[in-house]
Amino acid sequence: MDLLEYQAKELFREVGIPVPPSQRIEHPKDIKGLTIAYPIALKSQVYIGGRGRMGGVRFVENTIDAIAAAQSIFNLPIMGEYPKVLLAEAKYNVEREFYFAVILNRAIRRPVLLGSIKGGIDIQQHAEQIQHVVVEQEFSPYYARRLAIKMGLEGSLIRSVSDIVEKMYRLFASRDLDLVEINPLGISQTGELIALDGKVSVNDDALKRQTDLADLIVDSGGDGHNPQQTRCPVFLEPDGQIGILCNGTGLTLATVDLICGAGGKPAVFLNLGSETQTDSSAESLKEQLTQGLEQLAQIKQVRVLLVNLVTGLLSYSELETVIAAFLNRRSREPRGVSEIRPDTLITHTIRIPQMVVRLMGCPESETDDNNGTKTDLLSGAAQVAVVTSLDEAVAQTVALAKNNNHA
Amino acid sequence: MIISPQNKVLIQGIFEPSGMTYAPLMRAYGTQVVAGVSIGWGDSNLKGIPTFNLVDEAIAAVGAIDTTIIFVPPYSVLDAALEAIVAGIRQIIIVTEGVPPLDMVRLLREAEATETMVVGPNSPGIIIPGEILLGTHPASFYTPGTVGIISRNGTLTYEVAMQLSAAGLGQSISVCIGSDAVIGSSFPQWLQILEEDDRTEAIVLVGEIGGDSEETAAHYIAEAIDKPVIAYIAGLNVPRGRRIGHAGAIIDSYILELGPDIGTADSKINAFRRAKIPVADRPSQVPELVKKKLRQPARKT
Repeated sequence: MDLLEYQAKELFREVGIPVPPSQRIEHPKDIKGLTIAYPIALKSQVYIGGRGRMGGVRFVENTIDAIAAAQSIFNLPIMGEYPKVLLAEAKYNVEREFYFAVILNRAIRRPVLLGSIKGGIDIQQHAEQIQHVVVEQEFSPYYARRLAIKMGLEGSLIRSVSDIVEKMYRLFASRDLDLVEINPLGISQTGELIALDGKVSVNDDALKRQTDLADLIVDSGGDGHNPQQTRCPVFLEPDGQIGILCNGTGLTLATVDLICGAGGKPAVFLNLGSETQTDSSAESLKEQLTQGLEQLAQIKQVRVLLVNLVTGLLSYSELETVIAAFLNRRSREPRGVSEIRPDTLITHTIRIPQMVVRLMGCPESETDDNNGTKTDLLSGAAQVAVVTSLDEAVAQTVALAKNNNHA
Repeated sequence: MIISPQNKVLIQGIFEPSGMTYAPLMRAYGTQVVAGVSIGWGDSNLKGIPTFNLVDEAIAAVGAIDTTIIFVPPYSVLDAALEAIVAGIRQIIIVTEGVPPLDMVRLLREAEATETMVVGPNSPGIIIPGEILLGTHPASFYTPGTVGIISRNGTLTYEVAMQLSAAGLGQSISVCIGSDAVIGSSFPQWLQILEEDDRTEAIVLVGEIGGDSEETAAHYIAEAIDKPVIAYIAGLNVPRGRRIGHAGAIIDSYILELGPDIGTADSKINAFRRAKIPVADRPSQVPELVKKKLRQPARKT
């Protein structure tokens, strides 16, 4: 999960990476309380990169211009995102701009230090200039010095630059980051270094042990304590009619592909999660399935719901029992009372989407009452089609959605 | 094959909900689950499997252990795996999902130095149908046979196994290398193991979007694998995450000398097509393609 620039710079300050004096601006009128001296830079605090080219950064010399600039930046969306906060920062004149990053390379499974003497907004055009050093073993500052040398730095810059890179690495390792980036690192005429812009991305899986970083994300409007998007519906096509309920990421992706491949339009999918979670058990899957059905049934856009479950935790009859209980609950929910005629029940019925259900469970346990034979709790339900083949389930789902469309 | 039904198996985190669920299933399948470790559960047992506080205590009581299967919570995985390595265990399967990547970097450095095989994290492990279950694969979807499955996911792999079983194509092994961002053993390592495995006649690779494992696998197959390989990739219709557009990710792929599109389903499918590996467009097409390949004479002798 990404942090905003001002949050990244807080972390830089904590580890001793020099950053310009700055203040957060939550409203244009906050400009009057500025304690840093003009000229200043006003910077839109958004998650998307490239704001400079879109007018999200302005340099101003006095209060009047600053207030006007702040108003316009607050009203300027960067790729659709409006800033909630601006950063007012002392303007620095620098002679050169370098690029630095520490990232985790998934393929080689090692952190990598990156550096370029051609930093700044055109970094991507100079990608071939970026030098890298793989941190093969336990980090030691010589990795940072190797990077400085590869970049062609000389004299006192070797030590001053590698000090910054070392601090970046320490931050990366101690805070479980996916990325820490400084672009640009400004170099003044006298050789002073200052991080003018920075980016920090925290690893989602580590947020529960980096609770102060999770709090920062909550402060800026994100849900830092629940970064994982599993068990939350993911919306796809605004005019789709099909809901998909699956367990496991790969199976969910494959089911969405099959629906699209058959000409269907998925509105939303919900992944109940894999069976590799520490709390994974037969009981937890029953609960997740119940919650998942309730969540998707409440989404009005879903006219047809495809339930595709493949599991070794529950048998067919156990899965079927959970779904039958859901249908029962929905059909018995109190329907409310008409406001005009309190003595009559209102006429609308609780909507249940048409369902196509494909359940591949573990073998029925020998201790089950039904002794291994399939029950048919669902066959009586008019709105439910029970199917064994995945291709058939997809075909029926798409056909039902098309009929619904023409109705 | 580096795994045999004689493997002595330890379960770390045996009293976690997942450990309690799967340890008895593994033993029922015939796996020699000789001990479990859970802190605070020394001198106890789970349905007859003796349990200990420390890996060392388990080994002292039951003798040498070949393989450990880890179910402890994500932030305890590094510690559990290091404890196993120091105790001399050289095969580690990590079922737990969501291990922080930098913990895995440290663990994999230790594993490389000690020649320890790490499968996962976020992996249902390995099944050799009819012989041994090391992890959480539902045994009922598998049948013994000659098709090897290697994958990056759980339930989709079971789906493919089920489709193969239904078509009369049994499996020699199914291994999931794990779905977290940083994982131990890779597709090329398992491709090589299956290339050398006498029982395996064809290999099915089940991939998904993200990372570059499938692209790397496609190159490796073209270079080094003579047995027929069939691929299936999930995630064609899921919009790109914001993360892919970010400078770190673009530069990351630059280092690998790969283009910025790396990680998309199209990139993966194209990599397989370039390597002349058939790509199934749905799980049910996998058995057809395997049968077609098995009818053709081998590429080399």
